[in-house]
Amino acid sequence: MSALLEIQNLRVTFNTRHGPVTALDSVSLQVNAGETLGVVGESGCGKSITALSVMGLIPSPPGRIAGGAIRLAGEDLTRVSEARMRALRGAEMAMIFQEPMTSLNPVFTVGDQIAEAIMLHQKVGHAQAFRDAVALLDRVGIPSPERRARDYPHQLSGGMRQRVMIAMAVSCRPKVLIADEPTTALDVTVQAQIFDLLNEIQRDFGAAIILITHDMGAISEMADRVAVMYAGRVIEQASADDVLDHPQHPYTRGLISCIPALGKGDTELREIPGVVPPLHMLGAGCAFAERCAHRFDRCDTEKPSLVDHGHHPAACHAVEEGRI
Amino acid sequence: MTVLLDVQDLTVQFALPRQGLFGPRPVLEAVRQVSFTLEQGRALGIVGESGSGKTTAAMATIRLVEAASGKVIFQGEDLLQLDAEAMRQRRRDVQLIFQDPYSSLNPRARVADIVREPMDLMEIGTPEERRARVTELFRLVGLRPDQLSLFPHQFSGGQRQRISIARALTTNPKLLVCDEPVSALDVAIQAQILNLLARLKTELGLSYLFISHDLGVVRHVCDDVAVMYLGKIVEMAPREALFDAPQHPYTQALLSAAPSLARRKSRGYVRPVKISGDPPSPINPPKGCAFAERCPKAQEVCRRVQPVLEPRGPTQVACHFPG
Repeated sequence: MSALLEIQNLRVTFNTRHGPVTALDSVSLQVNAGETLGVVGESGCGKSITALSVMGLIPSPPGRIAGGAIRLAGEDLTRVSEARMRALRGAEMAMIFQEPMTSLNPVFTVGDQIAEAIMLHQKVGHAQAFRDAVALLDRVGIPSPERRARDYPHQLSGGMRQRVMIAMAVSCRPKVLIADEPTTALDVTVQAQIFDLLNEIQRDFGAAIILITHDMGAISEMADRVAVMYAGRVIEQASADDVLDHPQHPYTRGLISCIPALGKGDTELREIPGVVPPLHMLGAGCAFAERCAHRFDRCDTEKPSLVDHGHHPAACHAVEEGRI
Repeated sequence: MTVLLDVQDLTVQFALPRQGLFGPRPVLEAVRQVSFTLEQGRALGIVGESGSGKTTAAMATIRLVEAASGKVIFQGEDLLQLDAEAMRQRRRDVQLIFQDPYSSLNPRARVADIVREPMDLMEIGTPEERRARVTELFRLVGLRPDQLSLFPHQFSGGQRQRISIARALTTNPKLLVCDEPVSALDVAIQAQILNLLARLKTELGLSYLFISHDLGVVRHVCDDVAVMYLGKIVEMAPREALFDAPQHPYTQALLSAAPSLARRKSRGYVRPVKISGDPPSPINPPKGCAFAERCPKAQEVCRRVQPVLEPRGPTQVACHFPG
């Protein structure tokens, strides 16, 4: 069975004042219908660039898709026209952004904004689209949706705005829904509501969800499969259970053990020393070597590739040679 | 154990814009009769969602926001009664770390000057002593002395937070107020700063008033935890009691909302406590319990009578139906 969305060896470069840098380097990911893929990593590791590449929203210039393919139901998105991309965007795939306030237009009511998205992709009039918008607001759990549809974004709370974004994103029943840190700006009780809503919507519509997050706890609750990214590469990929219970790459192990868990206190957290290296400073070896406790000479000279070394795919020389 | 800080019935009010030209000025009560004590060498966490008043309560404690009423007894002296000069002298003992290490450091000053400035203002030591102290603090927080002459933009977020911590420690404070000190940092960097704060607490015998929305972080750093909702403390307990046997339905909801590695999609978890909606507006707080509208256990009495903090085992809880 071929995946609904398949990214193959995607390479994205940016021209910067430090010269051209590779933001994504041979990234390969797949998502099936009805499945949630969690993409996890620190800021600057390429999570959002991956999402924007799929949506065809990489600012170009300075950005450029320099190689690879993104196949949505077999169609390569890196080769389609801008007009075709516009037809797909919103209808076949949609994105929920981090900050709902800046992603909504402040001078239109939320009902009109959802109706606009519906009218763009379906042959319906405004009155019907507005009725659909109200039904969607009801579906995403907004109380008194008829009244709220006539509200402007500033009249809604952060959690309600994110619900509006979700209503807009699912208005055309997309096959792929990308959620880029959808709850970072929200309080934890509201975050739980949004996560539960995304799971419900997936059950109803059968959409594939790509959840981008830095939070391993969110991965645990939401994801079926996980891709861990570091410095523009996927360094580990497997089912959520495999990654969380048997992490292979030292970076993944670090990400899991550095979370202050609710279940225990007082023990010292295992830290990952240092920071993510800037992309223009990446050398010939493993990008994580500087911060890695298992570093040996091979790590400085040769980039590890994502290969299964027994358990599931991980890009690490130390794992390959059985040193960890 | 000696009590370092004893806050009693602290209330903070903000006047809102006049309604109409001659209308009344409504008052928003951001912090409502908050009381807590902090012992020397311990850390008290204040948790709550945005708008719960946790930051305002801490800021009023150290008089960065003026309180409407209440007492803040710090080492036997009511800070709210001190005149400006006496309060300025007290500030040696009370320092602050902010949430955003990008906006809390002067971008035009070298970091050595940033860290030294509190000593200049308080006229502590000779210039040589101040310089030596800056170098010593740099080592203490895990920075290298050869980085002293750099500017803030040359450091990462985690390093900047180390600089903020060094600056806060220059005057040898007894109390450190930490306002969401790791919220702006990546998870891997959060662990570095949390370990540093835990080490400094033991080595220097510091006390923390630690504000955070992240229960995992609070559990890691704090000995006692107070949970705030709409300006009031709804539950206060030693760490173990709060996390193992939360009494207030809001605390239970917070704990079940926080993402956890123990809940796995593949195992079909169901969130134990679900709450809907947002907190009510603090401008017209409900007459009864502020949480009643969202509470799964709410009865008629909850909407009528405001519950008060009452002891229940090691915990103090403000709820008609705790447990």
